[in-house]
Amino acid sequence: MSVLAGDLREAMTSSAMIAVKNLDFYYGQHKALHGITMDFPKRKVTGMIGPSGCGKSTLLRVLNRMYDLYPGQRATGEVMFDGRNIVAPGMDMNRLRARVGMVFQKPTPFPMSIYDNIAFGVKLHEKLSRAEMDARVEDVLHRVALWSEVKDRLKSSATALSGGQQQRLCIARTIATRPEVVLLDEPTSALDPVSTARIEELLDELKKEFTIAIVTHNMQQAARCADQVAFFYLGELVEIDSTDRMFTAPREKRTQDYITGRFG
Amino acid sequence: MSADQALKQASATPVAAEPDRWRVGSALVARRRFMDRLATVLSLCATSVALVALVSILLTLLVRGAAGLSLVTFTHSTASPGLNGGLANAIVGSLIQTVIAIAIGAPLGMLCGIFLANYGRGWVASTTRFVSDMLLSAPSILIGLFIYQIVVAPTGRFSGLAGGLALAILALPIVVRTTEDMLALVPTAMVEAGIALGARKWRVIVFICLRAARTGVITGILLAVARVTGETAPLLFTSLGNQEWSVNPAHPMASLPVTIYQYAGSAYEDWVQLAWTGALLVTLGVLAINIIVRVGFDRKGA
Amino acid sequence: MTEATHTVKSYEQELERLRGLMARMGGLVERQTARAVSAIVDRDEEAAAEAPELDPEVDSLEREAEALAIRILALRSPMAVDLREIVAALKITGDLERIGDYASSIARRAMKLEMENNLSLIGLRNMGRLVQENLRRGIDALTQRDRDRAIEVWQSDTAVDELYTAMFRELVTYMMEDPRNIGACIHLLFVAKNLERIGDHTTNIAERVYYAATGEMLPSVRPRGGLGPTTVA
Repeated sequence: MSVLAGDLREAMTSSAMIAVKNLDFYYGQHKALHGITMDFPKRKVTGMIGPSGCGKSTLLRVLNRMYDLYPGQRATGEVMFDGRNIVAPGMDMNRLRARVGMVFQKPTPFPMSIYDNIAFGVKLHEKLSRAEMDARVEDVLHRVALWSEVKDRLKSSATALSGGQQQRLCIARTIATRPEVVLLDEPTSALDPVSTARIEELLDELKKEFTIAIVTHNMQQAARCADQVAFFYLGELVEIDSTDRMFTAPREKRTQDYITGRFG
Repeated sequence: MSADQALKQASATPVAAEPDRWRVGSALVARRRFMDRLATVLSLCATSVALVALVSILLTLLVRGAAGLSLVTFTHSTASPGLNGGLANAIVGSLIQTVIAIAIGAPLGMLCGIFLANYGRGWVASTTRFVSDMLLSAPSILIGLFIYQIVVAPTGRFSGLAGGLALAILALPIVVRTTEDMLALVPTAMVEAGIALGARKWRVIVFICLRAARTGVITGILLAVARVTGETAPLLFTSLGNQEWSVNPAHPMASLPVTIYQYAGSAYEDWVQLAWTGALLVTLGVLAINIIVRVGFDRKGA
Repeated sequence: MTEATHTVKSYEQELERLRGLMARMGGLVERQTARAVSAIVDRDEEAAAEAPELDPEVDSLEREAEALAIRILALRSPMAVDLREIVAALKITGDLERIGDYASSIARRAMKLEMENNLSLIGLRNMGRLVQENLRRGIDALTQRDRDRAIEVWQSDTAVDELYTAMFRELVTYMMEDPRNIGACIHLLFVAKNLERIGDHTTNIAERVYYAATGEMLPSVRPRGGLGPTTVA
């Protein structure tokens, strides 16, 4: 009981790394997000769940402005990150993406060596000496627990790694640019249970340093990894609460129906 | 509870004699088997007709062409009948014009393919794609006439450069098409992953997408090489052909296909022999490129 | 509270089966308690014999319900209301089984009790009636997953406790009046204690029903005096 109270107090006092307020999002004419307001607390894992097409991935892609790649997609409202509204015009997108990293559903190693995969992102933002780069590569590979597996073949192709290793490499590549926020879009849906467990274990480590937002279809995964969970349905944020509360006693009937498997 | 009831009910109803479900109407089976055999035999026949034609061409070429093959073929230029000429000027001319063609066609084609694959939206892209596809199937003699009009006629002379340009236009759509197709195969997630690291789009395309598609793009360029080395028609109005040794692209230049064209119909036996040898060389060259493409790149995939 | 049904039908069927087992167990335990009370206060020997006979069936139902609940937990990873219902079921079957044990114990004591003397059984009769009534409503709350009724049951156990205290004093008085009453009175004291324990387990059941239905815990200390459902929820 006292532990729980401590957790709650910490959750209340930890400040929002990203604060979303009245966010609407459009794919052309179609409105995909309706007035989303929520916080992503600093150094916490925020899980985002909901059925396909509910807007959870859309919201994730707003947070690093990935949607800018596609014409006709636009966001209105406020997404405050480090004192600036990132959906307002005039953002330096590349700088933003260095600070808000993203890991995708399928592992996407670049067709180059393991070393270069990590160096690619770093070189975009920092001028490092050879030795500094070596140290950075080793550091992030240690942090994703990949170092011992790949230290003898840093120069060989990253595509030869197993799926789970590739995904850990992608996480390493993302944190190598030293972001403050890491977005994960169903990072384990293409992986086997053991690789999944390793990634989840990794998340526990990473949240000591990064603010994490994870979209997942796997309710148990959200339950295991997240500190707070947000449930989306039809482009709306139905409910957001501590993970504990969401999975034992959600307030909203729609949340309850979804997480207990009573949908459709 | 309900399952139990259902079970009881099922066992209560009298069991009809179960038909043997391994047996199907034998007439139907026989008919199907016959159709299957017939189709197999027909496709084997068609394949063998094509194979026989191909093998006979290759064999004839090999027998007739190899007869005239000697060191002289590679060291001497073409000469008047009876003077023991070779094909050196034609071989080198073909090489130079192909290099010019690829040097111009490949970068242009790649850039165009990149545009179509990554930025290609709206009417500009669809028009470009349409024109490129049309060029792919355009009669090559038209390309020759086109270059004649815009290069040969204004400068007042046939030249190797004009020949290279004509071949470049032939190579262009092949490179465009393969580059676009290969880039389209690069997963969107890979592009997004690059962008998500804070890279600009051009950097992602050049350092990630092209790298991922490189085997496919190189294959496309080699196929373009194979295509242009065998072309005769566009060269007739551009580089014309040259009996003398010439490596100056500003002058008329010999080439294997044109030489074959001119010699094959001549009345002199040694010229006809040279035409056969030239044909063999062109065929072997194209064959070699195709084999390199298959063995070297197909296995790894694009 | 009405729920949409699960997308996976077999899951829904398993939950229904669990509810069915609980309801059967509740019915049996209710009957055991009724027979035990009647064995004591009406000197009904047939009832005294019947109550313990139901024990094995209650036990086997408990084991079946527990196995099913564990199976659902392992295979379905229940969440939210389902999770609460199953966890509550695990605990409620334990409470029901204990209630059955107490009822059997009362019935067995009734067989041993020799009451040629003229002790008043009115207090015990009242207490028995109240405990039975509470248990019945508790089991109704369980089968109907009715939070309001659960709160009523939870609150009315106070009355049982008060009756028990009164019984205690009364029996002590009898014993002091006439030491020959001591044997019978001690039996009756145990009976009263067992009834009081049945009341406590009924309260536990009400608490779990309330938790399963709402996700909220009732306060661990029951407030004395009136407490409306509104102030709890």
